[in-house]
Amino acid sequence: MNYETIIGIEIHCELKTKTKMFSSAPNSFAAQPNTQVSPVDMAFPGTLPTVNKKAVEYAIMASTALGLTIDDTLIFDRKNYFYSDLPKGYQITQQQRPIGRDGSLEITIGGQKKTIRIERLHMEEDTAKQLHFNDYTLIDYNRCGVPLIEIVSHPDIRSGEEAAAYVEKLRSILLYTGVSDVKMEEGSMRCDVNVSLRPEGSKKFGVKTEIKNLNSIANVRRAVDYEVERQKQILLSGGKISPETRRFDETSKQTVLMRKKTSAVDYKYFTEPNIVPIHLSADWIKKIKDNLPELPDARKERYRQMGLNDYDAEVLVVDKDFSDFFEEVVVVCQQPKLAANWMISSVQAVLNKLGTSDLGSLKFGPAQLGQLIKMLDVGKVSSKQAKELFEDLVLTGKDPELLAKEKNMVQISDDKQILAWVKEVLEKNPQAIETYKNGRTNILGFLVGQVLKLSQGKANPALVSQLLKEEIEK
Amino acid sequence: MSYLDLSIEEIHKALVAKQVLPSELVSEAYDRAQKYQKDLNAFVSFRIQALKEAQNLDGKEITNPLFGIPYAMKDNYSVKGELSTGSSNILKDYYPVYDATVVKKLKEAGAVSIGKTVLDELGLGGTGTNGNTGVVKNPWAIERISGGSSAGSAAAVSAGIVPFAIGSDTGDSVRKPAAYCGCVGFKPSWGRISRFGLFPFATSLDHVAYFTRTVKDAAYLLENLAGKDPKDMTCSIKPVEQYVEKLNPELKGKKLAIIKSINESLGNPLVRTNFEQVLLKLKEAGVEIIEEDIDMRLLKAIYPIYMVISSSEATSNNANLDGIKFGPREKGTDFLDSIIKTRTVGFSELVKRRFVFGGYCLAKENQKELLLRAQKIRRLIVNEVQRILAKCEAIFLPATGSIAPKFTEKNDEKLSVAYLIGENHLAIGNFAGLPSLTLPSGFVDGLPVGVNIMGKAFEEQEVLNISLGIETLLARYKGQIAKRGGE
Repeated sequence: MNYETIIGIEIHCELKTKTKMFSSAPNSFAAQPNTQVSPVDMAFPGTLPTVNKKAVEYAIMASTALGLTIDDTLIFDRKNYFYSDLPKGYQITQQQRPIGRDGSLEITIGGQKKTIRIERLHMEEDTAKQLHFNDYTLIDYNRCGVPLIEIVSHPDIRSGEEAAAYVEKLRSILLYTGVSDVKMEEGSMRCDVNVSLRPEGSKKFGVKTEIKNLNSIANVRRAVDYEVERQKQILLSGGKISPETRRFDETSKQTVLMRKKTSAVDYKYFTEPNIVPIHLSADWIKKIKDNLPELPDARKERYRQMGLNDYDAEVLVVDKDFSDFFEEVVVVCQQPKLAANWMISSVQAVLNKLGTSDLGSLKFGPAQLGQLIKMLDVGKVSSKQAKELFEDLVLTGKDPELLAKEKNMVQISDDKQILAWVKEVLEKNPQAIETYKNGRTNILGFLVGQVLKLSQGKANPALVSQLLKEEIEK
Repeated sequence: MSYLDLSIEEIHKALVAKQVLPSELVSEAYDRAQKYQKDLNAFVSFRIQALKEAQNLDGKEITNPLFGIPYAMKDNYSVKGELSTGSSNILKDYYPVYDATVVKKLKEAGAVSIGKTVLDELGLGGTGTNGNTGVVKNPWAIERISGGSSAGSAAAVSAGIVPFAIGSDTGDSVRKPAAYCGCVGFKPSWGRISRFGLFPFATSLDHVAYFTRTVKDAAYLLENLAGKDPKDMTCSIKPVEQYVEKLNPELKGKKLAIIKSINESLGNPLVRTNFEQVLLKLKEAGVEIIEEDIDMRLLKAIYPIYMVISSSEATSNNANLDGIKFGPREKGTDFLDSIIKTRTVGFSELVKRRFVFGGYCLAKENQKELLLRAQKIRRLIVNEVQRILAKCEAIFLPATGSIAPKFTEKNDEKLSVAYLIGENHLAIGNFAGLPSLTLPSGFVDGLPVGVNIMGKAFEEQEVLNISLGIETLLARYKGQIAKRGGE
């Protein structure tokens, strides 16, 4: 029997606000444990939540970027349960009225576009971080109360590849809005994937399992692929899928059981009475929407209009820092196509070698690369020289003009000098002129080579070619 | 006679005239509190540092009517570095790290707390018999309850220990004990005074409220306690008025409503007679009385829906008391086992019963039928009260249906009209968040009884003015202090 894979994804993102969701304690990732804590975060009796306006603004930005409709009344709910990482005994979240509803994003799989619908985006607070040891647990309340948005997709995803593409696209969009660091490895973006199978043609959903805490986009794909295969084998051998929470084990590349999902927990949701409903004015929402930074799809379109092809545009926008770097290069060299080639081949190769995506680890900046491309473009250096210079740039980060001067490799574009070399070569090769005049014009390449050789590689090839033609055809 | 037996206003005059020093007042209040503790059991803890604090005030410029005035604080307010128990074993060793907004404001005004008073555990209960340090006795008759949950604060003011005390009011927790103990009890509108630092019982019903000996003193306190607070989003940004300056006892031409079915539900006929007598005096004073009514089915629902809403909110509000972060922690096999054991020994039976009931009301399968329905009925009752208030300045109500019961009395008639309505109608003020003031109106069988004025939201001035008018009519009960055995 053939099975259809059904996947829905829930993503939690920490917002980059200065303070927490409901308290004035700082929101910072790397601080000493239990130093970024207010009485509100510890749920000391009598403390009350106050809503962080910036977090609401960020949630509206994220919602807008994902095409969600904004609810203009802000209402929070309590999700009640006892856990050692939950100081109040409840989490403040948005159950009934998420701030954003009904949006979507587009992924591209093998050149084919596919729309994944997004059900909701809601705001909530993070729990404390627990460090488990053999016979005790330590609790770090720094993370407690950090603002989160949770983004829930419809079950529109059909494969591990699509799942990874969805997470990557979502990550890229959020990165462009600037509301979150979206670092999966640091936990500022967390991904839970629900996977189930159903016989092809069936309308009913099968029993799903949830894979929690995937720490990279590559692992999203690996985990889903593994889980789909695991479920398929069980179903094919006549077994049943049991509803459970699983995690992805990186060493074995398998999903492993965390806990069985027993009868659904009742969280006893009810409206948070300490926060009266807040009306969000249309003006304020509009202002936030109008100030939304450019998103990846819009940027891609702009790149196409700059003359880049689909592939280059796509590759450039995925990582916002990479794309921003590219734009600064273009500002200096004014040659988008050339700049794109250098970014995608040369710069990416350097980053790969360094094993990082952090452009800050490069010794040179966009201005220097732009300068180098410009030198190439105006014929100051040949492309062979430019490549050599780039290698020096990577090693030293020095000004390319300076590097070229040091290497004495500035290209000669002086008409008189080149003409002298051209004449010298033509005098030595009279038969070549005949050949050319008889129609075999490709002999020109040989002649250009001779001139360059004479100039020790410094003559501007385009100029050489032009002057050669003029001399022969005189 | 001692200055302590006077009102805030009178003591303030004496302080300004240098007839008495803050240290003398505080020292005497502290002594009285100690002396009556055996009889009344009003206090959880005493602040020995109050004496030092008062000495530091001696000779300083008097900037505020509350300056140098000793007071008592219900033990469900957070006081930085000082034991704050909620009268519960689960917080028996809890020393907060921050001050409640009310505590901060009183400190800034120069008032001096002499101690924390007993309440029904975590504010749940209305008798003063459910605190973890024992029952609070009524200063007028120690075989009787003071009422609750602000039991110790009511007793402390009534006994002449302090001229004012802070309480909190979720159903009638200040306004009922005020009647039983013969003092003024005022609950301003929901959102008029910040709740930050008040241990929550039921958020949508909880109010900061307080006891004084006179209506004017209630106005002094309101001026000092009211106002916006960035730490409490439900606290109103409406400006604080000059309540004292604008006080006006003129009753002539005022229109007050009475609610027939409530007046007819009072269990003790003599309490009703007292109410009727005051009503007559009001008419004589030129007050226009309009008789209104509310459907008995709605009035009978007050107590059940109060229990559903308050228990639901209470069970969630108190879920933080798990022994993980503060308070005593019982050992367990894992954290959940530890939480269960801690809460099992930490709460009294009454509190546990209400939490279980609240959890039942919140459960997915019951919430629509219980909590959401209760909230709808609450809305219907509020609509009725607003309808009546639209026709008049305020509603005139009896404060209780009876005098303070004896500890030995058992109320087995919880489904009677006398209980459901006569003993619970003040909760209407919590449902609608209305300003509501109880003041003494005489005696029945030698025990104080009171009447209540319930006004429109944020019209505290009107409530204070009408109350002042009534206090003037009933001048002999103004500022009374319980006669203490042998004195």
